[in-house]
Amino acid sequence: MIVAPWVWVSLALALLASAGFGAPPADMKLQAYLLWGTNDRNPPADRNYQPVNPDIRQKLKSLPLKWAHWYEVKRVDFQVAPGASREVTLSDKCQVKLRQLASAEVEVLLIGQGKEVMKRRQALPKGDLLVLGGNSPNATAWLVVLKRNE
Amino acid sequence: MDLAAQLKLQAWLDGELPEAEARAVADWVAREPEASALAEELRQTRRALAGFEADLRLPESREFFWSKIEREIARRAAPAPASAPRGAAILAGLRRFLIPATAAALLVLAGAVLIRPGGAPTRGGGAEVEMALADAGAFTYCDYSAGTTLVWFSYPADN
Repeated sequence: MIVAPWVWVSLALALLASAGFGAPPADMKLQAYLLWGTNDRNPPADRNYQPVNPDIRQKLKSLPLKWAHWYEVKRVDFQVAPGASREVTLSDKCQVKLRQLASAEVEVLLIGQGKEVMKRRQALPKGDLLVLGGNSPNATAWLVVLKRNE
Repeated sequence: MDLAAQLKLQAWLDGELPEAEARAVADWVAREPEASALAEELRQTRRALAGFEADLRLPESREFFWSKIEREIARRAAPAPASAPRGAAILAGLRRFLIPATAAALLVLAGAVLIRPGGAPTRGGGAEVEMALADAGAFTYCDYSAGTTLVWFSYPADN
């Protein structure tokens, strides 16, 4: 059977299209969480903390963290256009600034009390988490979790 | 006072107990002279040792250190991959199909990776877990299988 040349050309174009040739980069949709970790079974009575989402909790279990219970202090849904940046406030003293880079990476800037604490560039594929954290008083911990949804 | 109580008292002094337990131990130390005496002795011992400790620090926390060991044990304990099937004749028969199919798949894969603007997000090294010192006060832990990156700050948080 002889196949016409235009069929091969069409197949090649379809292959290029499926590989993403010419597809414009899209907005990233993300969630930022401020979490508080403890080994106490209950959160403080005077705070309205909610247990963290099961999918986040499952991912945190894979990390070498010694705290058993994680509570959500604040959650912010946001999106970032390619090349643009977006600052998210998680508490009075904690902000996160995220920029979508042209190379499919993100640049994350953690700001504590108005000062730059950390700046980091990395790939953040859909579903992946970037977790920033440290110790808090009374053997507890804080986490800032960035999750890319789209 | 039994050994468990002594260890709990030591953990309290080291600030390792959850808030509720720490309060209970503090009450206990305030009530019990024996516990109070032991607490004071441990404090003095710590003060005495502090001046003689060499200023050596591990570049990673206790949790990261033990996690590395745990993962290495799990990796070594994993069962070895099954041996090759005996049906080599069947495989040889399939080879005529597999070689061109593999070549075609490689071409498609190379096109998808090389032609896409910006390229696919890559994860370097090929290792499943990677750790690095981000700066003097933080280190990074990457679990590629879980799609999680942790940056842990060793200095206290102010938020």
